[in-house]
Amino acid sequence: MFPETAQRLKTAAPLFSHAAFLTDLKRLSAHGGARRHLTVGRCLTAKVPPPRKPRERVEIPGLEMVTYGERMHYVPGLAKPAPQHWERDYKDPRYYKSPPAHEMRLYKDKPCYMFNQRTSALEGVRQAAWLTKTQVIPGLPAQLLSLAENPENQIPDQDERVQNAIKHARFWDTTEDRPRKEKYSNTLLLNLLHLCATLQCSHPAVGRRMLAENYSLATTWKRGEDLLQIRGQNGLLLNSMDPLPEMSGKQEVADTADHVLDAFYPVSPTIDLQKVHVYKEEVNHTGFRDDYPYPHAHTLYFLESADPRCKLRPEQFRTKMIMFTFGNALARAHKLYGTRPQRLLDRPVTVQSVGTNGRIFQFMVFQLNTTDLSGDDGIKNQMWLEEDVELYDFAKVRPLIKKKQVKVQFLFEGRRGFH
Amino acid sequence: MALSCLTRALRSLTLSQPALVSQAAAWSKLGAQVPSSAVIQCRGFLTTASLEQNRVRWKQREKYTIRPIGMKKTGGRDHTGRIRTHGIGGGHKQRYRWVDFHRLRYEANREGQPFEEKVVEVRYDPCRSADIALVAGGERKRWIIATENMQAGDIIKTSGVIGRMAVSANEGDAYPLGALPVGTLVNNLELRPGKGSEYIRAAGTSGVLLRKVNGTAIVQLPSKQQVQVLETCMVTVGRISNVDHNKRIIGKAGRNRWLGIRPSSGLWQRKGGWAGRKIKPLPPMKVYINLPSVSAS
Repeated sequence: MFPETAQRLKTAAPLFSHAAFLTDLKRLSAHGGARRHLTVGRCLTAKVPPPRKPRERVEIPGLEMVTYGERMHYVPGLAKPAPQHWERDYKDPRYYKSPPAHEMRLYKDKPCYMFNQRTSALEGVRQAAWLTKTQVIPGLPAQLLSLAENPENQIPDQDERVQNAIKHARFWDTTEDRPRKEKYSNTLLLNLLHLCATLQCSHPAVGRRMLAENYSLATTWKRGEDLLQIRGQNGLLLNSMDPLPEMSGKQEVADTADHVLDAFYPVSPTIDLQKVHVYKEEVNHTGFRDDYPYPHAHTLYFLESADPRCKLRPEQFRTKMIMFTFGNALARAHKLYGTRPQRLLDRPVTVQSVGTNGRIFQFMVFQLNTTDLSGDDGIKNQMWLEEDVELYDFAKVRPLIKKKQVKVQFLFEGRRGFH
Repeated sequence: MALSCLTRALRSLTLSQPALVSQAAAWSKLGAQVPSSAVIQCRGFLTTASLEQNRVRWKQREKYTIRPIGMKKTGGRDHTGRIRTHGIGGGHKQRYRWVDFHRLRYEANREGQPFEEKVVEVRYDPCRSADIALVAGGERKRWIIATENMQAGDIIKTSGVIGRMAVSANEGDAYPLGALPVGTLVNNLELRPGKGSEYIRAAGTSGVLLRKVNGTAIVQLPSKQQVQVLETCMVTVGRISNVDHNKRIIGKAGRNRWLGIRPSSGLWQRKGGWAGRKIKPLPPMKVYINLPSVSAS
């Protein structure tokens, strides 16, 4: 078949290259089948022709191009019709292209800066303090510390039970050698929460609280000329029926008016925040409906390993904690006192939060004193932050074996107990 | 190897007919009794489309980002698949950090005003000999080539204004050539204003601003070649970082291979006129200004 064709074509006097192609193809198909490499007896190397540029399409205004589009077949001499945009006249969800940003219904010219769970703020705690108009006080307030030291508030066998909780989270909670970080940090947090909940017999207020997970938070506020929003699905929240008492008295609140916020020129405070032009204005939602029996946010719990794709450094993790605590407090304040900015709240909204990576804890108490956040002066909010509290030094899984005898099955060392 | 076989195979097709479609048409036209399967099911070479997948597509990003981009190594091969430059191949995997060479790039709303930026971090860049610095200013962050004494926390200034008096420039700041005093060490030189810096970017290098004449400035490059450019071209002050780069000792052949440098051909080749020490006068000054022609006649 092939030789016949080849002879026929030779007599038809084709181009030289065509014949060459045929011989090549003949050898190609002759090999066919299993072999995937090309072997030819003839040298195929030659100078590569330069890539051809497509013919230029010249647009002369006023002159209409005569195309062969109407005739539905190629006609030599006529121009190629320009590709026509075709749109489906019915709506098919499989082939839906969303319109560009400026054609969306919620498009606004003024941008809004969003803080979400994956934001990693460059300047850390200082940036969060500026955005939320907060005075940062290192160390927890004295009332909280005295509450913790009070032996009435402590669980019987506290140290031993906490050590058991840590051992369970770090050593026993898996069938593999060692549990992974996401798993053990989660287990540890839940174990410790359970221990705190065992105080319900002596402290009935503990029973008036409820845990909630993955609720969607949304708050809006204005800072200077910028519109800021916090959106996100938070991890774990302890709600309560009664609001938390305020941490600082009226005098201290009034003193915050003298505090000057840290500015970090030349970096803008809205750096690293997601800038969007399509957003809903004035959205304030605590994440729960109005008739929820536990309306007040008590404590938020943040895990560093909650989102595996987003790894935050300790400073950025603390920023996230601050922003979401503030978001919860502000959403609550907006609900109680309305969205108009109030210079001084009658009852400041207090929210606590705890963040951990499985070993190191960060504690924070946030007190919202004002919702008037546009200017830099006036009463500020307050925040007590205790950073990097280690629960234990290390937890080694490998058993210590000396002379083929297991001395210590697992090593766990901690310097001070949990309070 | 598979790629070279494949490219050779494909070249055999391109030499003859421009497209497979027309080949099939030619076949049918000449009344060949070749079953169509022979053309389509040719198992002599791969016909998958994923050959040149990431060859240049990793560079086609439009939006600037500071995240490192995965790179595809070329091995010295060009678009035909042949070696264009010998001695390149292998080496440690590298990710490309997109360095912004337009130092005077204004932010969206703040055109025309000199601005300052804060250096967040200075780090090693596998793709070049110099170190790179992450700078943040306003609402954006970008990578730039770090100068000699740049550290995290420094504030660097960029200005496009040429005043009557020369500015006393600090290291790391960027000014147009017309604003700097004669004799300053400069780097990241732009040849045409607004094009981005293309010269003096290697580790430890610096140029010298020699003279300022009318609206132009003459800069001596590290190779002692002199260039004349417009005085509005942006330039950074100081020496590039990683000053001891030329004093490093490779130590072993393996380290060169880690850097992606393949051994040169061992064939003894007679050295021609290019070899040996040359003592010759400096080439004439290169002028990068489009001066109006003197006369039309």
